[in-house]
Amino acid sequence: MNIKGWWWKILGVLIYLYVIIGGLTVPLKPGVLKVDPASANTGTKLELNITGYNTHFSDATENKAWLKTDSGHSIKARDIHIVDDMHAQLIFELPEVLPPGEKVQPLTLIMDNEKDGAFVQPNAIFVKAKENTTSGTEGWDEADFGHIHTADGIAFPYRNILHETIRNTFFHVALWFAMFIMLIVGLVYAVRYLRTHDYSYDIKSSAYNKTGILFGILGLATGSIWARFTWNTFWTGDVKLNMTAVTLLIYLAYLVLRGASSDTDKKAKISSAYTIFAFVAMIPLLFIIPRMTDSLHPGNGGNPALGGEDLDNTLRMFFYPAILGLSLIGVWISTLVIRYEMLKERLFQNQK
Amino acid sequence: MKNNNIQNTVFRFVVFFLITFLSVDLRAESEVIDFMRNSGKIYSVVAVVAVIFIGLAIYLFRLDAKLTKLEKRINDQ
Repeated sequence: MNIKGWWWKILGVLIYLYVIIGGLTVPLKPGVLKVDPASANTGTKLELNITGYNTHFSDATENKAWLKTDSGHSIKARDIHIVDDMHAQLIFELPEVLPPGEKVQPLTLIMDNEKDGAFVQPNAIFVKAKENTTSGTEGWDEADFGHIHTADGIAFPYRNILHETIRNTFFHVALWFAMFIMLIVGLVYAVRYLRTHDYSYDIKSSAYNKTGILFGILGLATGSIWARFTWNTFWTGDVKLNMTAVTLLIYLAYLVLRGASSDTDKKAKISSAYTIFAFVAMIPLLFIIPRMTDSLHPGNGGNPALGGEDLDNTLRMFFYPAILGLSLIGVWISTLVIRYEMLKERLFQNQK
Repeated sequence: MKNNNIQNTVFRFVVFFLITFLSVDLRAESEVIDFMRNSGKIYSVVAVVAVIFIGLAIYLFRLDAKLTKLEKRINDQ
């Protein structure tokens, strides 16, 4: 066995193994799973029951909590009763008035201790102003939290609703990136075939296209599972989903087209030309149309992607290797298909 | 050739049952869903990894079967 020709296959498998192991074992940052009650009135004593996720309330000694309005005013918890690591009761004295703004205001919960660092739950509770009161800032502090802890070690961001499924970034999203890489290689070989009419380029083009289609189908299947647990349905009317389905159908037609013709030359010409059409059709379907309307996917419509907490540096440590590893595995699978098709071709030529 | 047909039929049945098994399981009834929602939905990530693994495996098995066929033809010549 020649190790020189094998190193990139081993590298691909090792990188993907690193992604699977690391991506499944690195913990999530602490966060707030549940806040009860969901609303309160001004001028009352508020007993807020918190259910935390990955939190260490009872291990920590310096538990602190605040509620903050959008206008930048805050109140500090007067008392904190720790039940266990995951449960705590925060006691707030809500002021008589709300800072200038709406009659009902969402408050952001901020918690901090030396074990977990600081974490935030936006819109944790809605506070309703009493009838016939004017707004004011009595009882509210300017938001200034003094010293806030940061946690050590690497952890993935805690996002509401997503929870642990944020790890699917390495598996579901990387599949699409790898698919795109495979389809680009397929396109390059298709163009090379049309320029040279060397049949081996057509075989290469079709092998990479097939691997791309495989990744695309797996991408749809995994996305469907992810959607079931975050959007509560296997399939939504989301533009990106439908456009992806259209793209995959265009590429599936490519397979049908190749299967329909038995004349090698004709098959190669038609399918190479069709590859260019399918690739060009994919660009607006996947990259332009979903960005023009609202979408549940990050990076489309009003949603930011690859920025902020959606893809922070700890996620990047696994996301980029996932793309690289999966692409190498994809190239490996494609070369196997290429070798098979070449062998078959040689056999046919011998028979002629 | 006959042996091949049987292999193909078996293969189709296995794929069919895998697909129905998976879809029934996931759609299923709230028990499974509740289980998947436990521990911050970590099991849905496991399901995603499993689907990728099964998908790649099926593709490789099919390639394996095609290669076996080709080998047979070369040997027959």
